[in-house]
Amino acid sequence: MSNFKVGIRENQNIHIVDLKGYLDAHTAPELEVVFQSLLEKKNYNIVVNCSDLNYISSAGLGVFMAYIEDVRKNRGDIKLSNMSPKVYNVFDLLGFPLLYDITSDEADAIKKFCDKK
Amino acid sequence: MSGISKKINPPSSKAENAFELTSLFEFSTVVNASLDLKFIFNHFLLTLMGKFLSLKGIVLLERRTNVFMIENVKGLSTELINLEWKLGKIPNRIIFIKAEKKSRFPWLKYFQELGVTVLIPLSTRNRIVGVVGFAPLKHDKKFSEKETLYIKSIFNIAAVSIEKGLFIQELGTVNRQLDRKIQELNTLFEVGKEFNTVMQRERLIKLLIFSVMGQIGVNRYFLCLEEDGDMRVVAEKLDRRNREDVCRYIPYLTKPKLVSDLNNKNEKPWRLWMEEIGIEVVIPLQLQQQTRGLLALGEKLNKDNYTEKDLEFLSSLGNLAMISLDNIRLFNDAIEKQRMEDELLIAREIQKGLLPSTLPKIPSMDISAVNISSKQVGGDYYDVIQLSSHHFVIAIGDVSGKGTPASLLMASLQATIRALVPLGLSLSELTKRVNDLICDNTTSGRFITFFWGIIDTESMKLNYVNAGHNPPVLVHSDGSMELLEKGGIILGIMKDVSPYVEGIISLHKDDALVLFTDGVSESMNCDNIEFSDEKLRSLIIQNRKNSANEIMNSIVDSIKKHAVDTSQSDDITLLVIKA
Repeated sequence: MSNFKVGIRENQNIHIVDLKGYLDAHTAPELEVVFQSLLEKKNYNIVVNCSDLNYISSAGLGVFMAYIEDVRKNRGDIKLSNMSPKVYNVFDLLGFPLLYDITSDEADAIKKFCDKK
Repeated sequence: MSGISKKINPPSSKAENAFELTSLFEFSTVVNASLDLKFIFNHFLLTLMGKFLSLKGIVLLERRTNVFMIENVKGLSTELINLEWKLGKIPNRIIFIKAEKKSRFPWLKYFQELGVTVLIPLSTRNRIVGVVGFAPLKHDKKFSEKETLYIKSIFNIAAVSIEKGLFIQELGTVNRQLDRKIQELNTLFEVGKEFNTVMQRERLIKLLIFSVMGQIGVNRYFLCLEEDGDMRVVAEKLDRRNREDVCRYIPYLTKPKLVSDLNNKNEKPWRLWMEEIGIEVVIPLQLQQQTRGLLALGEKLNKDNYTEKDLEFLSSLGNLAMISLDNIRLFNDAIEKQRMEDELLIAREIQKGLLPSTLPKIPSMDISAVNISSKQVGGDYYDVIQLSSHHFVIAIGDVSGKGTPASLLMASLQATIRALVPLGLSLSELTKRVNDLICDNTTSGRFITFFWGIIDTESMKLNYVNAGHNPPVLVHSDGSMELLEKGGIILGIMKDVSPYVEGIISLHKDDALVLFTDGVSESMNCDNIEFSDEKLRSLIIQNRKNSANEIMNSIVDSIKKHAVDTSQSDDITLLVIKA
């Protein structure tokens, strides 16, 4: 029924969250569950790959807002990558580029985590 | 452009003229090709500075009346860019700062402090839109006619491009505002739709919070909602908490407000409280124009101030959530009501199953009974049990409370009686045992008023015990009356109490014995007046010559007349025996 999917991969101790489909008020709780479980296992280096994300609404963005602080407090980060122009436009309209590290490519985001180490 | 070249035509400087024209042409081509203001200003300043050997250059545009913003600088600190200066009216001519009266243009000192010596207004369509300043090395009093002409030309060319650039910039801003508005409306639409499908309050609250956090870029908040008539904090994320009860102010807030605008007498204490915990805006959540909750938000993560549009958006979103929360409440109420009705149906079934469907025949006696259960289903009980050919038990009871719990206690009373009666003990001993068993099997606060007796049809005696029940009425054929009151304490209150006293009466031909529950005597009319024991007794006396069934029906009819237009609040049970 849900046209939204979340997948998790691990690469050099960095967790890559793949988003697919529509992240909106209906599906936001699914992403929340994923962040909750990552944080419970103390995984604080997170890259969210948005290459297959078709749409994001403010409820979806709200999930990032809810967890970014905890993650950064633990010296990690949530970086976003591979956004389509349409999705980026929503982030941009709501002023997210100021608050989040958004890279064009997943590898760049991973590299930033590795450089920091 | 040909007009310009005609005027500046001294033969001695033909080469110079050509160079000037080339420079103008080049400038024109480059700036006209661009819509980017930054690039245009850059090129403009560099061209001007190159031509007049200036080490400094500055461009300002008027953003509001007399307020000018520094758009670009050369040879000056780049920190100046985007600063706003309040200047006065700018004269429409070339200004040599040294030669001007500072009293007339006090703002010239800003430029003087930077070492700028010449200011030239920038105008489009005869309106001054900005000013350009520079510091030509060789000119501090005036420009030659030729130089003035060059300046005019380059400014004309620049003005057109700048106007175009400004227009594009404006278009960009408007477009973005429009995009943002569309995005806001999309959010309202989408969240509103989702709100309507969510049926759990907690999930809806979470959705509201997520949407607000994402849309506004904030992650400090608290949310108050009315719960069972009280305003309570139902979700929060704050750095500090203040113990003072803030919720009582909420109903007075009718419009979304910045905390810094909470200035009237009622709001002042609230403002201090909110500021202490870092709240910047308060949004009342309304239902039918009444404030039933509050959304309070902290500072935006990007430190921006809240705008009027933000408040509008938050108010719309909040009120949408309120409507859906109310729908959830109504939905849950409906489910609860259905559940209670189902439960009552079960209770009614239990009760019906416990009451005797047919009464045993008692020789030489006429007996009639009725139970009319109320909507709520009370715990009335009656029974007639044959012990031997001439011994019959008659019983009536009323379990406290209503619904299933009362029905179940009644079931346990019936089982206890039916199990104990065959033991052949005295009625007072039996009553004590029933009481002890009921005490063991009830939770506190439940009890049973109970009357029972054993009729011996040979000796025409009735032995009875009344455990706190409405005393049955015995009316003799001459109209005299006895109340059967002997007995003891109500069943289910205390174990091992002082023994129940047994009453014994003789029954005579044509005596009428009426057992009833308080649903009869306490039946209310529409003025809240009870049917009353007196009325019941006189009714029995009046009808004493009739059959048991007729006596019973006259009582039922009379109650129905008394309680017309009211809903029956308790079970009505009658057991009538005519000797």
